[in-house]
Amino acid sequence: MEHEPARVLLIEDNPGDADLVRLRLVEGKAAVQVNCVPRLSDALACLEAETPTLVLLDLNLPDSHGAETFRRIIQKAPNVPVVILSGQDDETLAIKAVHLGVQDYLVKGDITSKQLERAIRYAVERQGLLRSLDIARKQQLEFKNQFLSHVSHELRTPLACIHQYVTLLLDGLAGPMAPDQTGHLKTVLKSVNQLHAMIRDLLEATRAESGKLRVEPRCIDIGELIQQAVAMMRPAAAEKHIGLEVGLDQTIPLVYADPDRTLEVLVNLIDNGIKFTPPDGSVVVKAAMVETDPTSVYLSVSDSGRGIPPEALPRVFERLYQDPNAVDGNRTGLGLGLYIAKEIVTFHGGRMWVASQSGSGSTFSFTLPLYSLAKLLLPVITHRGRLREDIVLVRVELTPLSKALRGSWKEACQRCLERLRLCIYVDKDLVLPPMEASGAVETFFVVASTDMKKVSIMMDRIRDQVGALPKLKASGTLRVTAEMIPVPPAADPRTVEQQVWSVADSVAEIIQQGLWSRQHFIEKENQNAH
Amino acid sequence: MRTENPSEEQPMNRAKIMVVDDDPDLRQALSLRLQANNFDTVNVGDGYSAIAMAQQEQPHLIILDLGLPAGDGFVVLKNLQQYPALSIIPVIVLTARDPDSTEKRTLESGAVAFFQKPADNEELLGVIRACLQTGCGGGLPS
Repeated sequence: MEHEPARVLLIEDNPGDADLVRLRLVEGKAAVQVNCVPRLSDALACLEAETPTLVLLDLNLPDSHGAETFRRIIQKAPNVPVVILSGQDDETLAIKAVHLGVQDYLVKGDITSKQLERAIRYAVERQGLLRSLDIARKQQLEFKNQFLSHVSHELRTPLACIHQYVTLLLDGLAGPMAPDQTGHLKTVLKSVNQLHAMIRDLLEATRAESGKLRVEPRCIDIGELIQQAVAMMRPAAAEKHIGLEVGLDQTIPLVYADPDRTLEVLVNLIDNGIKFTPPDGSVVVKAAMVETDPTSVYLSVSDSGRGIPPEALPRVFERLYQDPNAVDGNRTGLGLGLYIAKEIVTFHGGRMWVASQSGSGSTFSFTLPLYSLAKLLLPVITHRGRLREDIVLVRVELTPLSKALRGSWKEACQRCLERLRLCIYVDKDLVLPPMEASGAVETFFVVASTDMKKVSIMMDRIRDQVGALPKLKASGTLRVTAEMIPVPPAADPRTVEQQVWSVADSVAEIIQQGLWSRQHFIEKENQNAH
Repeated sequence: MRTENPSEEQPMNRAKIMVVDDDPDLRQALSLRLQANNFDTVNVGDGYSAIAMAQQEQPHLIILDLGLPAGDGFVVLKNLQQYPALSIIPVIVLTARDPDSTEKRTLESGAVAFFQKPADNEELLGVIRACLQTGCGGGLPS
């Protein structure tokens, strides 16, 4: 700050105090530019416009008092050092502020220019140190994550080799095996699979920690997903003679979540339940709506195992937590499964928790957000506080030529979706989030604020633009249809929100019917094609 | 393009799969697995040989690792596109690398499917059979 004048933002509402501090600042040897503002709101605006070298802050301002004042300043400019100007009577508060990230405080009335200059110099110095510490910490974290990611990839190559040879032997491709040998190899394969799962968890946890977990929410039927998870885990449950039951609330609306990730969470929790439940016990998966929270679905996985002791309850979601009382010789993995599951749910905006009583089982519960069509539609189908006159639902169906090439088809659908988003008016049309496709057919819906006549222009545009994608031409066919959505009349006495709700209901109904009868459509299409 | 349909071929005239992987042990194991499933195999261990061998052998399908000496998997994919005769060969990528950072790129580079090692044998064979049945060539630029 010797070279460039320090830019001090002085936040002080008392003109006398402000003048005094300004005087002390100017008296000092170092060059200082002072910008003085009397209110917190002015200060926040200043910080928005430019970053000063330092903030001198009075805690009691016309529009903010006490701790709230410095909290707001630190939140706005976390990298700018702050020195508090405290009165004789609020020194305790100033000390508290130092604990919470303020660099220093000076008591008004006995400020000398030397003192002020030194306080500023040290505050800037310390803030700089803190910043470089923070940067170093982040770099270290990044290095750790890169290291873990590198190691887990390198481990995969030899693992793939072991896996391939063990399965070759087990499948009898290298000659017949004696029963004992087959048994031993199966043990090897089991361990290979455990190792594989650990490597996967390691990477997944690294991703979660660095905020790189990929979550692609779609509109999904959670009941179907639960059935899928249960079907996957049934063999493991049967092997241990554990009953696996499902309890589904029949009235669950569609959920807005990443189907692969949600399946991962469900499988993880069911697997956990099976692992900690003795033979002849049971694991129950439930999904239900809760009256007090109409925006989420509540899912739970309960087991009849030995439960979790109260002292361990707060720790089960911690990274690397392992049950110290695992007695049945189950190798439990890295202790990352529940941590990952909770992170995935949190990424969706949901919560996960556990309830348990020693000796009588545990229940892991989590929430996922419901798919709210009305919330999405509101800004699109209303204009100047009123519902638009005409609303049309456009259906874009992509049917693959071959079902098996999932990767390539997924990629083609993604491209189509991106292109489709360019075919609409962003302020009055909306491409709905993709629906979870139970088959290979992908259906996208567009809600368009237009009438049936004009929508044909949009449909032609979609056919031209999306239909011209080489990726789609190579792997599938396109079909675009439209239907009118009934709109409440202008004289409808309900509020706009209520009207949007009713439109959303109509749209949802058509979508659900459409997805349901899709198979029928395809058959018809195919007949036409011949 | 090919006129014969490999899935309906006589055992004498089997589909030929080229395995490109720099790990000789894994290459060998994969070949054994493929041969046991009635495929002929050709093995190579680097990017340069992959192109040369593809031209010479005209395989019906290629299983390609990404981390390779003398031209990695992406270079191989790019080079395959240069030759009309090779650009129609479906390529399945089988790699230890992270799908998050590579799956999209491989599919964009012309591969028809992506598998991370260790891959499930049945799943891999399923995709191989599907590719050979449809005779789908990847690699159409978009």
